[in-house]
Amino acid sequence: MEDLFIVNALSFSYGGNTALAGVSFSVGAGESIAILGANGSGKSTLLKIMDGLIFPASGSVSFLGERLSEESLQGDFLKRFRERVSFVFPEPDVQLFCPTVLEELLFGPLQLGLEEAAAIKRAEELLEMLGIEALSKRPPYNLSSGEKKKVAIASVLAINPDVLLMDEPTNGLDPRAQVWLFELLGRLKGLKKTIILATHDLSLAEDLSERIIVLDEAHSLVADGPAERILKDKDLLLRANLIHEHAHRHGHVIHRHSHGPYSTHDDHD
Amino acid sequence: MRLPDWLGGPREDTGPVRRLKPTGFLEKNIAGFSGAMLKALATEEYASRDGVLQGLEPRAKLLGFFLLIAASAIAGSGLFLSGVLLFVSAMSIKTRVGLSPLAKRVLPAFVFTFAVSLPVALSAVTPGRELVGAFGVAVTAEGLRLAGFFILRVATMLTLASLLALTTRQADFFRGLGRMIPGFFATALFFTFRYVFILIKSAQDATLARKSRTIRRAVLRESQRWFASRAALILKRSFSMAEEVNMAMISRGFSGRIVSAYGAAPFAGRDYLWIGFTSFVLFLSLGI
Repeated sequence: MEDLFIVNALSFSYGGNTALAGVSFSVGAGESIAILGANGSGKSTLLKIMDGLIFPASGSVSFLGERLSEESLQGDFLKRFRERVSFVFPEPDVQLFCPTVLEELLFGPLQLGLEEAAAIKRAEELLEMLGIEALSKRPPYNLSSGEKKKVAIASVLAINPDVLLMDEPTNGLDPRAQVWLFELLGRLKGLKKTIILATHDLSLAEDLSERIIVLDEAHSLVADGPAERILKDKDLLLRANLIHEHAHRHGHVIHRHSHGPYSTHDDHD
Repeated sequence: MRLPDWLGGPREDTGPVRRLKPTGFLEKNIAGFSGAMLKALATEEYASRDGVLQGLEPRAKLLGFFLLIAASAIAGSGLFLSGVLLFVSAMSIKTRVGLSPLAKRVLPAFVFTFAVSLPVALSAVTPGRELVGAFGVAVTAEGLRLAGFFILRVATMLTLASLLALTTRQADFFRGLGRMIPGFFATALFFTFRYVFILIKSAQDATLARKSRTIRRAVLRESQRWFASRAALILKRSFSMAEEVNMAMISRGFSGRIVSAYGAAPFAGRDYLWIGFTSFVLFLSLGI
């Protein structure tokens, strides 16, 4: 499998606050990876570095063998990179800055040089695919949270990227919208898109990712492996603050078991 | 986890609180401003109606309104301004907006203008033939004429701007503007308009959070300190949001110049007619 990203000994800090400490891993084409970590563990920072939006204090990230830096992200490489890698921000309001939904979908393709007619065709097909044609002329800030998320995802799909970086994609979504997102990501996986999700939603990771990377609260990578193995490692998930131990009483019997924020509820001890 | 004892204990008697008239000056103002912004952002109801101005090409419409506003700013005749005001009122009917929504939009600014221009009518500011007076203060005929003319000019310009806003979809407004002034300025204006609303919402949430935990009227110094801290927080949030929006743009290929779709449509006959008419009004204003 071709390596798309190689992350090597990556460290980053905001002022004096460490966000990432010596993180290394690689991402192959077509992989579906969940980066799990508690709040503040550095997941979002890692995705921003992988999207070439911020640059590490030490260590490196390479995309198709070329190191991502302010110097390298210029000209042809910048265009190639932006065409192939897209980022869905956790907060759709940040990502939706155009006057109408249709223009939002056209923004990326047009900046990257696609012909106007082709861009409009793509946007219209995406609107239809996502069932949001009726929103096309509406200003994005007037939409519901679920609709905003759909438009935010459509705005990056319009670029037709090979790699989708998604930061907390289920944030603020109601159950129906979450199911929609699960289905969409499943279909994109089927198209061999590389999907990298940063989340603390274990059910999302379980359903959509074959591989899981875990960042702990010390901002280091503590595990990288098949999803099935990682999700069964209760001690690891407890240490990384992804599940918590919970005790409750049934009559005279005290049950002690672990809970994840949305999903995991393993067998009683 | 051990809960502190007082959390489940009987409530302590903290004494009576004097009943105060509800003021909520800050909350009301922030809520009012937020409501007005929301209305400005969300009102596309009239813009989507099939009216005489709605069908104009955005550039032509904007240019025509700018010419009319310029004419109202230049004109020295009350009759001319009354004529423009009458024309805008008639247009509000032809655009299927109606006089009432237009008046509602203009009224608050009109009342404010009326209040600030009242002193102009007094002899102390504008000496002249006294009409009525008491306690050494008199209203002069010249002052009244001057104040009336100022109010008429402001009312005309406000009505023009309001009819433009009501009959133009926001996207069309900024698209039209972007083709008349450098794109960077139009984009900056749009972003200001777009994100100020989110920041106002933060301010509104902060005042509500404070209100939910407040039973006494705060002393002035405390209120000032609180207001300053919130203003600083919102400023900080606006910087962080600006940075994130910039990243979101870069991530989708933005490299300093926005490429937008839909090149300018050619002007139709009615666009030329509108520009011709408004230019003629501007020309008239120069001679009056």
